Amino acid sequence: MSAAHDIAVRTQGVDISFGSGETKVTALQQTEFTARRGELIMLVGPSGCGKTTLLSVIAGTLTPQAGTVEVFGQRLDKMNQEQLTAFRRKHLGFVFQSFNLIPTLSVVENVMVPLLIQGVGHAEARRRSLIILEKVGLKGREDGKPNALSGGQQQRVAIARALVHEPPLLICDEPTSALDKDTGAQIMEMVRELSRSPDRCVVVVTHDFRIFRFADRIAEMEDGRISRVVDDPSTIESQHHG
Amino acid sequence: MFRLALNMLFGDRAKLAMLLCGLAFSALLMAQQTSVFFGIMSWTYTPVVNIRAHVWVSDPMVEQANDAKPMRDTELGRVRSVDGVAWAAPLHTSFLQARMVDGNFKLITLVGIDADTFAGAPAELSQGRIEDLRLPNTVIVDEWGAQLMGKTVKGADGKMHTVALKPGDVFEINDIEARIVGICKVRRAFTGGPFVYSTYDRAKTYTLGARRTLSFMLVEPNAGVTPSELCERIERDTGLKAWTSDTVIWDWSDRSLARNTFWWFWKNTGIPFSFGTAVALGLFVGIAVSGQTFYSFVLENLKYFAAIKAMGASMRVLAGMLVIQAVTAGLIGFGLGAGMAQAIGRVMIEKGMPPFVMFPQILFATLMLTMGISIVSAIIGIIKVSRVDAATVFRG
Ligand SMILES: Nc1ncnc2c1ncn2[C@@H]1O[C@H](COP(=O)(O)OP(=O)(O)OP(=O)(O)O)[C@@H](O)[C@H]1O
Ligand SMILES: [Mg+2]
Repeated sequence: MSAAHDIAVRTQGVDISFGSGETKVTALQQTEFTARRGELIMLVGPSGCGKTTLLSVIAGTLTPQAGTVEVFGQRLDKMNQEQLTAFRRKHLGFVFQSFNLIPTLSVVENVMVPLLIQGVGHAEARRRSLIILEKVGLKGREDGKPNALSGGQQQRVAIARALVHEPPLLICDEPTSALDKDTGAQIMEMVRELSRSPDRCVVVVTHDFRIFRFADRIAEMEDGRISRVVDDPSTIESQHHG
Repeated sequence: MFRLALNMLFGDRAKLAMLLCGLAFSALLMAQQTSVFFGIMSWTYTPVVNIRAHVWVSDPMVEQANDAKPMRDTELGRVRSVDGVAWAAPLHTSFLQARMVDGNFKLITLVGIDADTFAGAPAELSQGRIEDLRLPNTVIVDEWGAQLMGKTVKGADGKMHTVALKPGDVFEINDIEARIVGICKVRRAFTGGPFVYSTYDRAKTYTLGARRTLSFMLVEPNAGVTPSELCERIERDTGLKAWTSDTVIWDWSDRSLARNTFWWFWKNTGIPFSFGTAVALGLFVGIAVSGQTFYSFVLENLKYFAAIKAMGASMRVLAGMLVIQAVTAGLIGFGLGAGMAQAIGRVMIEKGMPPFVMFPQILFATLMLTMGISIVSAIIGIIKVSRVDAATVFRG
């Protein structure tokens, strides 16, 4: 089951600390983390345990001080900034807690960004963006500004933007925590439905136990390490409900 | 992506307006201040503009147009005999006190012109005829001077106001009567005083028969002889100094009277320095204002540039976006500022005050400076964006 070609993400012995001397904060400590192709894995744990830091490491926006980071067979820890940028451009889609949509651009222009920075032409980028906007249920809103949309709608724009270039790795940091319960569930349903593909790996950081049921596996973090990996999310969910 | 960069710029009308205001304001300051400066400086060679002669001849020691080292009238004959001279006419200029009927004294610039040819006469008279100068004790005064020399009277509303002199009014120069027969339109001079035109011979009486009254000779070349050729011949044959009358001031080494006058004032007076500091101050304020507004524009967008960077945009693409935004804003700002400067200048030229000369070079320099400000701001923005950590996108 865990043959090498099934592995999407693997970190081994990763150390990350911020600052130095008395103010030194250790965020990740000998962290081992694995995610497979075709799965949606959630990273959960108390605030400050290092979830966002680990996400940054596998997204190639943060280079670890020690350890190896392997994403789709490529060693991110060995890459320079330029190579990391090119890697992110091709392999990654992002969904952020605070949406991070550009308010001065229209909805469809926001979605076009990943395609445009890959060098896709304007017309083609627009065409493909309109198709995915329709899939997230925003047909007719494409030429408005993001701020005219509700939070849930804005997060749907962000999902469209994260998937428009069909990246093999989708990374979501607290995608539902700025949304109410029902909207959050809808968003997770959409992420699951749209990102499902045998080759794609989805990593979702969350506090929100109400969405645990959307995960294939759940990795629990504590003090900069993965403390437990749960293969059946319903067991954790029932713990919280109970 | 560059199209999106422009949409980002134009997407926020309020911020764009701020940015353009800053850039336009500094372009306006630069263009307007410099134009006024060159306007004032161009007043130094007003005689060359008003007199309209092709070649000027003066005493060899004369350095500029406002400098009178009078010669003997016999010099006129020597110049007339130079090969290539069609005709030569005398010109007198001097500063004198004029006494108004109410007893006030005013400093005037007396201009004596040849009564036969009227060479050097004003181009345009708003009242009267130039020929009337041949009548005894007559003068023509310029419009601005007529105002300056006018009498102050109490109006029906109880307020004091000035009534300009008009044809028929009289005043005195050295106790000799001067009767106004015409009002002319001429450009104002650096020295500020009213222009009073009389004939050359009448000017001699007004100056109480000074021994030398020939300030300049105005010379017309024969057909086929260029002014500068003739200047050379006159200088060679008479030992006097000869000048051409073109008013392009951007060249140092030439015999143009206007150019030499301009640069003489530039080098020998404190005006360029004091006015130059005002211009430099305007420039500095302009640069600070527009640099600051563009910088804050970049700062406010930094978060979004970081997101684009995280999504995998290379520094080259990000830098291109910033440069396009800066250059576009700079060009529009320049257009607005230069347009406003031109509009203000038009009003100023109509009112004649303060003087305003917008050389194409001024516009070009303003454009270069505005673009310079934009490019520098873009570079600062690029440095900012290159330093921003893509990982910050995950932090709320
Ligand atoms: N740029 C940074 N500079 C200094 N310390 C940092 C930085 N980023 C993270 N840390 C610290 O590293 C630790 C882990 O932070 P991280 O953001 O990964 O936690 P988290 O699990 O995502 O928390 P939360 O659930 O609150 O988002 C925290 O103690 C945090 O203060
Ligand atoms: Mg976090």
